[in-house]
Amino acid sequence: MNQIDNITQAYSQAPWRKQLQFIGLFSLFLVFIALVAGIYLNVSARTAKVGRDIQYMKKQIETLDREIEDKQSQLAYLLSDREMGKRAQSLGYEPLGMNEAKFLPVPGHLGRKPAVLAPYLHNDLIGAPIIPKEYTEPLFDWLKKQSGWISFTLPEITP
Amino acid sequence: MMREPLWRYNLIKSLLFVLPILIVLQMVRIKVNPRQVEKIISEGKTYSGEYQTVTPARGQIYDRWGHQLAGNKTVYEVGIELRRVRNPETIAQTLNLVLDIDYVEALGVASLEPSETAVYRVVASNVTQEKVDQLGLLIQQMNELYGSRRDKNAPSLNGLLFKPHLQRTYPEKELASNILGFVNREGLGFYGVEEKYNDLLAGDESTIWVSLDPSRVQELPEIPEGASLVLTIDRAIQRSMENVIDSAIKESGSESGTIVVIDPKTGELIAMATTPRLNINEYWKYGQIFTDETPYNKGVSQAYETGSVYKVFTMASALDNGAVTPETTFLDTGVFEIGGTRIYNWNMGAWGPQNMQGCLQHSLNVCLAWVAKQLGPKDFYAYMQAFGIGHLTGIDLAGEVPGRLKIPGDEDWYDADLGTNAFGQGVSATPLQMAAGIAALANDGKMMAPHIVRSVVNDGYQHDIEKRIVGMPIKAETAVLMTKMLARSLETESSDALVTGYRLAGKTGTAEIPTPFGYTTNETNASFVGWGPIDDPQFLVYVWLERPQSSPWGSVVAAPVFREAVEELVVLMDLPPDDIRSDLYSD
Repeated sequence: MNQIDNITQAYSQAPWRKQLQFIGLFSLFLVFIALVAGIYLNVSARTAKVGRDIQYMKKQIETLDREIEDKQSQLAYLLSDREMGKRAQSLGYEPLGMNEAKFLPVPGHLGRKPAVLAPYLHNDLIGAPIIPKEYTEPLFDWLKKQSGWISFTLPEITP
Repeated sequence: MMREPLWRYNLIKSLLFVLPILIVLQMVRIKVNPRQVEKIISEGKTYSGEYQTVTPARGQIYDRWGHQLAGNKTVYEVGIELRRVRNPETIAQTLNLVLDIDYVEALGVASLEPSETAVYRVVASNVTQEKVDQLGLLIQQMNELYGSRRDKNAPSLNGLLFKPHLQRTYPEKELASNILGFVNREGLGFYGVEEKYNDLLAGDESTIWVSLDPSRVQELPEIPEGASLVLTIDRAIQRSMENVIDSAIKESGSESGTIVVIDPKTGELIAMATTPRLNINEYWKYGQIFTDETPYNKGVSQAYETGSVYKVFTMASALDNGAVTPETTFLDTGVFEIGGTRIYNWNMGAWGPQNMQGCLQHSLNVCLAWVAKQLGPKDFYAYMQAFGIGHLTGIDLAGEVPGRLKIPGDEDWYDADLGTNAFGQGVSATPLQMAAGIAALANDGKMMAPHIVRSVVNDGYQHDIEKRIVGMPIKAETAVLMTKMLARSLETESSDALVTGYRLAGKTGTAEIPTPFGYTTNETNASFVGWGPIDDPQFLVYVWLERPQSSPWGSVVAAPVFREAVEELVVLMDLPPDDIRSDLYSD
């Protein structure tokens, strides 16, 4: 019994060891918490930054949209009938009178076409790329075709 | 010595004990009081985000070739954030100097005490970019000079804010203003296309919740822009017709004038020039220009008694019905009595025996009243209705009026009306109604729905508006016959409407003006309708001059305007003279 006590005493940790162990574990826990907090902060900071970027970009889009509208209007003003007329006159051009007009047949000329500002809906369908059948047909059908499998249908049974 | 620390520890312990209890109690109090919950949630929301109203850009309007007629430009709302104001006097002085806002008024706004209800005040709307740049420069200079001073009286423009937004702009100014209409500060369309298509152009405004927390930023829903419109109007022809009508008004001393140019085969309105016109970028001047209930667009909003141009309908109906043929002879004695009313010719003369060609050529009221009687009231009015008289044409322009066609059975219809209506008296129609109805004669009897929008561009795709037949008031043979008769009339009369190289059909009209005391004798409405080239009509032009002073007769004042209009049209529409065209076809 005494021997056992001696062994236990010999192998039991010293109080300073236990304290060190506790401090170590506690520090580990703190490091873990700090790591988690760090990761969380990092992710949140990055998310916030991206969020701010998105907000900034949204504002930019709004500003650019307005700028596009402005530019279109400015261009329209510069190309307006009155402004173009003034410019043409300053360059020495004169409005064409009915009697001065000369008409020439131009083969293939079909006349001026009215404005097309966006594609027509049906054009898109016609213009859609044709996907080869191999990409759309079921695998089994493709295998049958490749292997030259000939399918037979049962002859009609007549009484 | 040992008691003092204990007292401190006890205090800390008590605080640590009481605080959690208080927190728990507060949580319970909030939880059991729904009003408190709502209040706190709404307060929380106030700080976490805001509701934003997204107004899509208003769709643009183009002429048939893609020239922009209506677009948008950036303007600013200038306001004051009251909480941030440091020196109201500086703000008031600046606003007075740059934006011409009354100093006292501006000072009153800038001096307002900020509160829950007084946070932000608008001081000016639709401020141009140049003005905002001036304000921006002043703010920058002010900050550089006095920004670091802590002195309360130091000049400061703190609190002055600008918010950009889009406003309608019309690069062509007054061109086609009567067709386009305008958009007010609130973004609402008035008159013309802007009013008729307001919902489509404006798009759907929507209010969305936007988080102010950057980590909760979400993708905003796509707010589709307003649809854009491509009109049937040709900008160059519109300008040309406006010039023609302006000079015609000046020369004839007319009160106003209108020219309608329509494609009889499609019903597309190529131009509609009328007076008065407004620079729609300054739409607030509307009241100065359109006085005394003057319609915004007389082409669709003012019906008038058209006079002899109406004879085209009467004769076409009678020929179509078989009541008369071109060879039918009528003995014009200079007077015709119908329903107790005596009808005379425009020159009060008797023209003797006349066939239907002669009746049209000399524009004989007596003959046309007789023709209407041959047709009978039932058929006559059925034809008139088929030509669209008394009904809206349904054109896609705001403010259209239907005119007035009295028919048998109406309280104010008398037998005599059949006779007077036959030559365009006692019946009113708008220039567009007349043009749309008569266009049936230029299109083998088919009447097309007049329209002004050619295509709608929406969601990135263009959709064309299909042409639509609204009726066939007369047979194709009658239409061709009438066209030939009217072409011959012009040629035989050596009309001022004739254009060298082009065979045209047409009819003049001179109408006395009804007043509460009877018809005027010294003032008239002069009109002319014509189309061509008659073998392949490409245009129909309707001219109306209101109360011309140089001459009361349509043949004298309106016919030359038609000629001028056609001379411009054939160049702008690339229409070669008839002989060249026939050579091209034969090749």
